[in-house]
Amino acid sequence: MTPGREVCLDYAAATPMDPEVVAVTLPYLTERFWNPSAPYSRAREARDDVERARGTVARLIGARPDNVVFTAGATEANNLAFAAVEGHVVVDAIEHESVLACAATHARRTVRVGADGLVDPAVVARAIRPDTELVSVELTNGEIGCVQPVREISRVVASECARRLEAGERTPIYLHTDASQAAGTLSVNVSTLGVDLLTLSAAKIYGPKQVGLLWASDDVRLRPLVYGGGQEGGVRSGTENVAGIVGFARALELACERRAEEARRLAGLRERLRAGIVERVPWAVVAGPRSPKRRLPGLLSVSFAGIEARRLVIALERAGVYVGTGSACAASRMRVSHVLEAVGMPRELAEGSLRLTLGRPTSPEDVDYAAEAIAGAVRAEMERLGLDDAGQAARVEALLAGAPGASMRVRRPGAGGAAGNDGYAW
Amino acid sequence: MSRATPRGARVFCGLSGGVDSALACALLLEQGFDVTAVYMRNWSRDLPGFRCPWADDLADAERVAVTLGIDLEVWDCEEEYRATVVDYLVDSYAHGYTPNPDVMCNQTIKFGTFLERALAEGADYVATGHYGRVERGEDGRTRLLRALDEHKDQTYFLWRVGEEALSRALLPVGEIRDKAEVRRMCAERGLGVEAKPDSDGICFIGPVGIRTFLLDALERRAGDVVEWETGRVLGRHDGAFLFTVGQRRGLDLGGGPARYVVSTDVEKNVVYVTANHDSPALFASEVSLSDVRWIAGEPPAPGRYLVRTRHTGELREAWVEPGDGASAVLRFDEPVRRVAPGQSAVVYDGLRCLGGGIVQ
Repeated sequence: MTPGREVCLDYAAATPMDPEVVAVTLPYLTERFWNPSAPYSRAREARDDVERARGTVARLIGARPDNVVFTAGATEANNLAFAAVEGHVVVDAIEHESVLACAATHARRTVRVGADGLVDPAVVARAIRPDTELVSVELTNGEIGCVQPVREISRVVASECARRLEAGERTPIYLHTDASQAAGTLSVNVSTLGVDLLTLSAAKIYGPKQVGLLWASDDVRLRPLVYGGGQEGGVRSGTENVAGIVGFARALELACERRAEEARRLAGLRERLRAGIVERVPWAVVAGPRSPKRRLPGLLSVSFAGIEARRLVIALERAGVYVGTGSACAASRMRVSHVLEAVGMPRELAEGSLRLTLGRPTSPEDVDYAAEAIAGAVRAEMERLGLDDAGQAARVEALLAGAPGASMRVRRPGAGGAAGNDGYAW
Repeated sequence: MSRATPRGARVFCGLSGGVDSALACALLLEQGFDVTAVYMRNWSRDLPGFRCPWADDLADAERVAVTLGIDLEVWDCEEEYRATVVDYLVDSYAHGYTPNPDVMCNQTIKFGTFLERALAEGADYVATGHYGRVERGEDGRTRLLRALDEHKDQTYFLWRVGEEALSRALLPVGEIRDKAEVRRMCAERGLGVEAKPDSDGICFIGPVGIRTFLLDALERRAGDVVEWETGRVLGRHDGAFLFTVGQRRGLDLGGGPARYVVSTDVEKNVVYVTANHDSPALFASEVSLSDVRWIAGEPPAPGRYLVRTRHTGELREAWVEPGDGASAVLRFDEPVRRVAPGQSAVVYDGLRCLGGGIVQ
C-alpha cells in the first residue's frame, strides 16, 4: 500500500541532487566524457573544467585551489586526513564512525562531551600530549546537531603549536574538522574556523554521492591512500570524477548562495516540528543544545521513553514519513548509537530516539503532517504497551533525574498550557 | 484429533523475516492466541567479502511485528548455535561427512533453546513457520505429519525433535495447501514480505556457499583425485573435506568427461571419482544409520516403511530394521543412488514421520 503523502525527514542521510546540479553534471556523462589526462584539446577542456571547479570550491571555503583534494566522499577525505599523521591523535566521543575508525588505528585519546554533545576546548587542551599530531572534531554532529566550538579549539591547538616552537619541539600538530553535515547551513571558511584540514561531502548538499574533498593547509603533507597515475597532486590517484566534481562545485555554490535564508527557514520549520510533537506528546524529550546558535538548524533529535524507535520507523514508513534513528550505521546493528551513549542519555530514552532532519524540499505542511504521524505512531505503541501520558511523564522525569546535567518538568494532562514544557532536557 | 486451544494461550513464535514465519504469526493471532514474536539471532559474524543478511532479516521481522501490532523480542542464540550447529558442521566436514545443519538447528535451537526459554517465560506453545503438521491424538500422544504441501514439506529437517517438544509446537503453515497460497495470504495481510525469495542453502551461510565457509574454518590441503575403477591419479584437489558423494562440480580435472565423486578419504586426503554415472560404486541397496532417533521415544516394529534421504526427495519403500542402541539398517528392494555419509535418512509410516538417523 502506498501512503497518500510522502515526507522525508532524513536529509542528513541523503539529499536529492538539485536540478541545477544535475544540469551541469549531465554533459560530463555524455559528450564531455573525456579523460582529463589525455593530450588533445577536448580532454584539456575537461581538465580545465575540473580545475575551474577546484577554484570555485576553494574560493567558497576561503582557500587556495592547490590545497583542495577531491575524493570519493567524506569518509575517504577523513581517512586521508588521518593518514597524514603517524602519532597520537585526539578525537571526541561523538565523531562520525569514519573518524572514530581512523582514530582507532592511532595511539589516541577520546575526549568526553557534555550532555548537550558539546566538546569543551579546555578538555581538549588537557588531552593533548607532546606527541599529539592531530585533533579531529566534527563541525556539526549529524545525530544530535550540536555545533562544536571549532574556532576555540583551534586556539588551543595554536597555543600548543606555539609552546612546541618555543620549546624547540619539532612534532607538528594539526586540527581537522569534518564539516560535511554543516555545509548546507553554516559557514565552512577554513580561516574563520582556524583549521588545518577540512572535510566536505557533495552528497549532503544536494550534490552527487561519492564526491567529497579534503582541504589541507600548506603545513600539512598528505600521504596517498590510493596509488596510481598520480592525479590530484599524487595524493589521490585515479581518473577524476569529472561529472561529480563539477556537480560538487555547483552544489556548494548554491549552498553558499542560499545558506543564510535556508538556515533561517529550516530553523523555523524545526521549531514548528518540535512544538508540534511536544504539544501532542508532552513527555517527548529533545536532545542536543538548547541554544539555537549551537544547533544545526534543520535537525531535531527527539526521544520517547520506553517506545522502540525501530518500531516507530516502520509505523511511520507506513504513513509515508521517513525518519532516522541515530546514525544509519548504528541502526543496522543491535547497538544504541554511540552518540546518545556518549551524551549520557539513559538507554530507555536512547532506544526511543528519532533523528529528524529537514531539507530544501521540506514544507510547513510536511512538518505538520509528520508531527501528526509521529504522535500517532507513538500513541499506537503506547496503546499496545498499555502506557498513558501521566505514567510516561513520571517515567521521563525519573529517568532524567538520574541523568547527568538533565532535568525536565513535564506538563500533565489537564494542567493547562500555562506551564507547557518545550521538550528540552539539557 | 484434539486441537491446541487458542483461548488465552501464550505462544512464542519464531519470526525470521521470511514469508512462512510471518504468516505463522498472523494466523496464530487470528486464531486467538496471545502471540509474542521472537527473532533468534543465531549468527551475526560476517565472512570476509560477504555480508550476512541477518540485519535485513531482522528489519523485515520488525516490519511484520509492527504491522501485526505484536511484541518482537530478539533472543541471542549465538553461543548455542555456534556450539551445536556451526562447530558440528565444521567438525563433520573435517571428518568426511556431509551434515544437515538445519536438522541440528531444529533440535538444539528452535525446539531446544528457544522452546526451553519460551516455556520458562510462561509460554504454553512455541510456533515456527515450518511446513509440517502436529497431530494431537485423543490418546494424549503427539505425532508429526508431513505438510499438506508435499513439495514444501520440511519434516525431513524435523526428525530429531522429540514428542515432548512437539507437544508444545504449533506449525500453522503446514496446514496450507501450497506456497503460492502462503504468499497470497501474506500479501492480503499487508505483511510486506510476500515477495521475498525462498531461503536456499544453509541458513546462516546464505549466499557465501559452503566452500568459502569451510575454507574460513579449515586448512586447505593438496591431495590426489583418483579414478575409482583404475586407481589412476587424474588431478589434484585442495582438501578432501570439501567434496561429497555424488558431487560433479568443483573437480578441476582439465576437461574430459564429467566425473562424479564416489567417495572421499579425509585421512589419506584422497577423492575417488568415476566418469560412469551408473557406476555400481554410486549405488547401494543397504544403508546403515547411526545416531537414530524415534520421535515416539521407542523404535517402530521392523517392517516396510517409506524412507526419504533428501529434503523433498522421493519417498521410497524400504525394510527398516531398528538395531541395538541408536542404530538401524535400511534395505531397499533394488540399489538406490548412494547418499553422502552424514546426511539424514527419515522414516515415515504413511504421512507420519517416525524419526530417522544419520547415514554412515
